[in-house]
Parts: sequence; C-alpha cells; structure tokens
Amino acid sequence: MTSIDPTLDLTLQRVIRAPRSAIWRAWTDPAHLQQWWVPAPTIARIDRFDVTPGGAFVTSMSDDGDAFMPHTDSIFLVIDPERRLVFTNAVNSTWRPAAPAPVPMTAEIALTDHPEGTDYRVVVRHGNPADRDRHEQLGFFDGWGSVTAALAELVESEARA
Amino acid sequence: MAKYGALDDIFVALADPTRRAVVRRLGEGSASVGELAQPFEITLPSFMKHVRTLESSGLIRTRKTGRVRMCTLNQDRLAVVDDWLTEQRRAWEQRTDRLEQFVTHQEDQ
Repeated sequence: MTSIDPTLDLTLQRVIRAPRSAIWRAWTDPAHLQQWWVPAPTIARIDRFDVTPGGAFVTSMSDDGDAFMPHTDSIFLVIDPERRLVFTNAVNSTWRPAAPAPVPMTAEIALTDHPEGTDYRVVVRHGNPADRDRHEQLGFFDGWGSVTAALAELVESEARA
Repeated sequence: MAKYGALDDIFVALADPTRRAVVRRLGEGSASVGELAQPFEITLPSFMKHVRTLESSGLIRTRKTGRVRMCTLNQDRLAVVDDWLTEQRRAWEQRTDRLEQFVTHQEDQ
C-alpha cells in the first residue's frame, strides 16, 4: 500500500507556512478548493463533493464561466481529518471502474506538523504499465501539437504571473 | 531539482512560435540554418538567436561544415517534454504552488 514505483509514481514534499487545519480546509471546503484547484483564469466548479471514503469528488472547469468541461471524476478513499486524504480516478463517482487519460491515478495527501507550519507530502501512484504503453503508442509526433500548445500556454501563463 | 532547471529551458525554447516551427521542421530531418530561416521574414542575425536558444536548451544540435551550419533535432531531449509522468509532476507542483499561495495568503489576513 505504501510502495512507490519511481517509473510510475511521483512524490512531492514541501513545508507550507500554514497550520494543518488551514490546509485541510483548503482541500475539503468546496469554497476554498474552488479558488486554487485549477490555474487562473480558468474557473473551477465543484460539482459533487462528499468528503468521506467512497464519496464523490467531481469538478469541472471553464474558461468563460459559461461552458464547463469535465475535469475530475473521482472518489475519496481515505479521509483522516487534518492528516491524510486519498482519492482516485480509477473508480469514478458512480463507483464504475474508469480509464481516464493519460493514466488512472491515486493521489495521497499527507499533513504532519512542522516547526514552521506543515510538512506537506503528495504521493501520486499511476496506473499499470499496460496503460502507460497505450499512452506511448499514441506516438511522439501525433501528440506533438497538443503537447506544444499546452506547453506554450503553461510558459505564457507563468510569464504573466 | 536540477532536472527542473533543464526542463524550464526547454519550455522557454518551445514558448516561441518561430522556434516551434523550427523544431517541427527538424522533425522531418536535418537542415541548414539557411534552409530553416527561409520561411521567416526576419533577418539572419535574429534567426540565429532562435537557433542559439534552441541549441542551449539541448533541443537541437548544430554542426558547422565549411560555410554551412547544419541543425539536427535531439529526439531524446524532446522526449523529456513528451513524458506523461513529467507532465503530471509539473501539474502537481503547480497545484501545490497554488494551494501554498492560497493558505499562506489567508494567514496574512
């Protein structure tokens, strides 16, 4: 359960200068989550949010505040208030096994006290190699246009920030 | 985090439409600077700046033979960008940046 495969998984650790309670609220209060979940100017909408194991975590996003596109369709697996939150999109909010792109994942957020605030850790475990191969079969140049567009957008939004 | 510095260089190199066009053209095979510059209505010195940015990011390699400088795409370097895990990492890093900004900004108030 706690195993990490470096070819599939990513880990991230950071000290955030805020108490665990504030970070927990940012994750679990829809009014807070909505403010940081997607990069501005894109608008996030929290459609279904039931912070309990098996509960729905569904969000959509919009560039104009009018037309919304699906963003996250997942369920919570573990809710340990102010300590640990785990959710996955390998099972969708209707409890149907799902195969989201590029690969399904399970995200674990762990909070522990730190003298300067909170030790914030993220572990994202991604789907099996078969899923990964399928993604790689899409081919390098086939994916080129969309990747470049996304990258350009990313860099430009960073420059604006 | 050294890996990220390198990645940033690649992102910067690809943020420009002229440089993206050059990378796309080199995807079809090596070409000289003169051939690459031809479709663009910019001076050769300005075009060379783009070539140097691409070269320093590692996306392309150049080699001078006689009076002609040939450019070649570095596929391995470009693959770094197309790596889904790298994309996911970047998305989570940025998401964490936003969360951090949100909660620490609240603290200030």
